[in-house]
Amino acid sequence: MNSDRRRINAPSGGTSAPVFARTVKESGYLKSLRPSRTRGPKELRKIFLQTGIVPSASGSAYLEIPTSNSSTKTLIPSQSSLKIICSIQGPKPLPRSAPFSPCLLLTTTVKFAPFATRTRRGYVRDSVERDLGVHLETALRGVIIAERWPKSGVEVVITIIEGDEDGWWGDDVSSTGVVGGGPGAGSGWGLLNVLAGCITVASAAIADAGIDCVDLVCGGVAAVTRNSASRNGQRQGAVQILDPNPSEHRDIAAACAVAYLAGRDEITELWMKGAIGADPEPLIEGATHAAVGNLSVLREVLLEAVEAKFKGDTEQEKEISKSKSSVQDVEMTG
Amino acid sequence: MSLPSMALPGQLLGPSTKYAPGPGTHMHDSNIYASIPGPVSSSSSPATATKPHSNTTSKPLPLLSIRRAPSNPSTAVLGPNSGSGSPILPEVSSTVLGRITRLGPRFATLDIVIINDTVCRESFAGLIRREDIRATEKDKVKIEESFRVGDIVRGEVVSLGDQSNYYVSTARNELGVVVAKGEGGEVLVPVSWKEVRDMRTGRGEGRKVAKPF
Repeated sequence: MNSDRRRINAPSGGTSAPVFARTVKESGYLKSLRPSRTRGPKELRKIFLQTGIVPSASGSAYLEIPTSNSSTKTLIPSQSSLKIICSIQGPKPLPRSAPFSPCLLLTTTVKFAPFATRTRRGYVRDSVERDLGVHLETALRGVIIAERWPKSGVEVVITIIEGDEDGWWGDDVSSTGVVGGGPGAGSGWGLLNVLAGCITVASAAIADAGIDCVDLVCGGVAAVTRNSASRNGQRQGAVQILDPNPSEHRDIAAACAVAYLAGRDEITELWMKGAIGADPEPLIEGATHAAVGNLSVLREVLLEAVEAKFKGDTEQEKEISKSKSSVQDVEMTG
Repeated sequence: MSLPSMALPGQLLGPSTKYAPGPGTHMHDSNIYASIPGPVSSSSSPATATKPHSNTTSKPLPLLSIRRAPSNPSTAVLGPNSGSGSPILPEVSSTVLGRITRLGPRFATLDIVIINDTVCRESFAGLIRREDIRATEKDKVKIEESFRVGDIVRGEVVSLGDQSNYYVSTARNELGVVVAKGEGGEVLVPVSWKEVRDMRTGRGEGRKVAKPF
């Protein structure tokens, strides 16, 4: 591992909130803290999305999936949430060394903040982050109309302020006693949620930047869980859920994230993990349904933003025309 | 089908048999779709459109376009307009303002900072070849008698150029040096189409001067 020698690094084991002794001593107590899915299998988490938040960028957006219920029993939040910020730089001239390109060159950079997950991330991008960047680039490349912007490049810079975990923290504690060593760790279920969030937020930021797109792309995740803890007497077996929160599900068998163009019914990016079985199509179908759900939020937000943008514009024009017309008769009141 | 007032990327605007695609739209399956968010405007294209031998189209189709948000640097730092001015690139025949950065034996390089009255976020590298400086007597042009490093030049983009530079021409009366400074930083005023002069000392320098409006 190449360590970062330029900064003062945190301990590699992570900086997590303290675990109370009760969770270790009483075996039943930890289990009672386990979060469970309270929404329906087809119900998505609520999304907060806003565009135009980075003044110096040509386009930007912020996405947050807040936690639904926060536990007061421990200092550790029972469920992880997702907070992603995206800024667009460009279209700007290519660097001098770059060869001639007749169309827009897309660069995507995805970086977890060092404090984004319970296991601490480094300051230098690691392979997971580079991988996410490549996935995001393929998702966006099929959407942007690149030939409208010759000889220029655009950078999509994404910082993940908080990322979805791969599993519930309690599993880590109970199985190994070490944070970050449980069965969920390293499975990468959380990464699919992160990728879907990245796609949605990047789509919003690109639209905010006014870069020509074929359609609004949106990310969505679906998963198949082994239904060991059937709540309401469902049949034993696989259950498909949309927008899984990995900390709420103990046994995720397979999951799939897509970048979906609803207007054209096209998929530009597909990332699948786990044992899907013979027929992966219902899972992909489910992920597209989740993407359509996110799209409704995205549409709403963009419409609001563009109306605000052009409302201020027309008001200004009115003011200018007003000031022009009222040059002759200046009247002071008050 | 009536046109929506506001469109989002991917929104269907109308069939291409009824409209012509303009800026901010694209065609797919002989339908016109929006490609940027913004207000939709439909304007009947001028009758003198280029149709020299097409008598089949009796009248021109109305042009559908989507307006971009105007870049507004004077607005507040944070707000609905923050950051999202219209991104702009130099195109062929767009008028640009740039600062001369280097003089070579066959060309002058400049940093394009304003394109069609819009200030760029980042400057673009431009290049004025010697034969593009003046419209007449091109072979007698000398670079050092036309520009000086630091001059502000109005020009027209003639080509997207090679990998790094846009090619700019000043071969028109109203194109050329608009602001010239002397060695001591004093402003030189134009006295003819090829000379600027320091009014204090009376010393003259050669420039390709832009005709004042």
